[in-house]
Amino acid sequence: MKLLFIPLVLFTVLVNSVTAAPTGRIFVTNEKSDSVSVINGSTLEIEATIEIGERPRGIGLSPDGSELYVAVSEENKIKVIEPESLKIIREFEAGSDPETFAVHPNGNIYISNEDDAKASVFNPITGELVAEIKVGLEPEGVAISPDGKRVIITSESTNMLHVIKAPENIIVDHILVGSRPRAATFTQSGDIAYATAEISGEVVKVDMNSGKIIKTGSTGDSKSKPKDVLLSKDEKVIYVAGGRANKIIVMDANTLEIIKGIPVGKRTWGLAMTKDGKRLFTTDGVSGTVSVIDTDKNKVIKTIEVGKFPWGVVIND
Amino acid sequence: MKQYNYLIVTTIFLIFCVNSYAEALDTKFAYIGDAGHATYKGASQGLLEANLQGEFLGLKYSIDDFTKNNYKETNLESYIAIFTQVDKTTLIEISASYPNTPVFNLSLKDNDLRFSCVNNILHTAASDKMLKDAENQWQKKKPDSGANAKAWHPDFVKFAARDLNKRFKKSHGQNMNSDAWAGWAAVKMTSDAIARTKISTSENMLNYLKTELVFDGQKGSGMSFRETGQLRQLILLVENGKIVAEAPVRGIAKPPTLDSLGILNCAK
Repeated sequence: MKLLFIPLVLFTVLVNSVTAAPTGRIFVTNEKSDSVSVINGSTLEIEATIEIGERPRGIGLSPDGSELYVAVSEENKIKVIEPESLKIIREFEAGSDPETFAVHPNGNIYISNEDDAKASVFNPITGELVAEIKVGLEPEGVAISPDGKRVIITSESTNMLHVIKAPENIIVDHILVGSRPRAATFTQSGDIAYATAEISGEVVKVDMNSGKIIKTGSTGDSKSKPKDVLLSKDEKVIYVAGGRANKIIVMDANTLEIIKGIPVGKRTWGLAMTKDGKRLFTTDGVSGTVSVIDTDKNKVIKTIEVGKFPWGVVIND
Repeated sequence: MKQYNYLIVTTIFLIFCVNSYAEALDTKFAYIGDAGHATYKGASQGLLEANLQGEFLGLKYSIDDFTKNNYKETNLESYIAIFTQVDKTTLIEISASYPNTPVFNLSLKDNDLRFSCVNNILHTAASDKMLKDAENQWQKKKPDSGANAKAWHPDFVKFAARDLNKRFKKSHGQNMNSDAWAGWAAVKMTSDAIARTKISTSENMLNYLKTELVFDGQKGSGMSFRETGQLRQLILLVENGKIVAEAPVRGIAKPPTLDSLGILNCAK
């Protein structure tokens, strides 16, 4: 029996350290409360609030879900939190005014440096700057294809999507889009990407193989200033955070026709979807809330009060 | 062996074609005025940004500067747009000499320039009436206010103004003011139009700017030109050096749009 004990203990320890079970929690950065709200995935109640530092905005998870990254903009750092214990375990310098970032399947973080017309790639384990890529003015959105082969950086003032081949980190294309492109998202295959343009209130659908815009759709309100965009799990519709339109605009992913507008709180920017595709979480900055949408009914099932000016949201599931 | 030679010749020919084509994509602007003026600094900032975008697209832009005294010595027909910081008489002369070229007024506030609706004059500078209307709107809301209207302020942060102010200061070592913004806006909108539509003639540029342009001037939602040639734009109210409000003033402006500021119609 004793002989079996030791390998069994080792095995259990190994399994627990390698495959951290997802906490199911939803994490939200509160830009003006300098905190991160922690929402329980089952009860949809606030479990905790983490004091994180000055002006937290971008938020993301490591590929295995064991680490949560938060861009603390005024401190020029990314801070690392354990999703389970909620402890801040590490931090590293991430360039000037780090805002939006995305995590590559290989674990590296791609971040847009708004003030410096470039995108930086960091290894979040070592804090090492892996690469710097020159892009256009006011880079903001970062999106990575699920296979990790392509990264899109949007530059708001140069009005472009810059396409980077990863992990080589070489720019392979620049696509001119509508005014002030903000966020982008890829389909599962990576063949198609969608991007929102703030000033023109548009969504563009891009064929990533040809680098051409194949469709443009209006979010219905040129004052809406759309931000985040996500695909439904079946990729039949896209959800667009409508900014000051105060609603999530549901559009047909093929035709970009508007299907429905789901009213949420004020100035809605951030979006996150559960892995099973059943729930969509929005950050409503001016209202200080997170809205939870049931995607089968496309209705809000709960509104959760978080901190001041919630910005980004991510789900650890 | 023959096939190999053929390949070399074709490649050289293609390289030649690509180079010629690339040269053909250089765009030239003319600036007539004082090259030390804030409008020129703004235009230079616009040029920097145009060339940054252009780098990604294989496009290149340049500005040749002239003064009100020497501009007549050069034929300016090859310039796709002319940016001016001159007096009213000179502005009218320039616009008459090149009637199919967009001639931008970067500095003059005269209302009668707007009323006269010269076909090819485009004003990125705000008119006296726009500024007065903004002050009047604000005074209805705050009767005791001594605020002055300005088209731009270095402390403006909304609508990505913060980013523009920051980069201008970084490049030029001084704050961006209304004149500089007007210069920046003229270059930015024309270069962006070229990048987007590949317009290559001044006539097409004039038409595009007057009829199709929706411009992100980093001070609010898409701006466009009126029939008077005036660029519709947000105006700031500044009191004791601080921005206190924006016009159109919410709840006061009639209509509640940018058309509550300035001259809407041409004189008959």
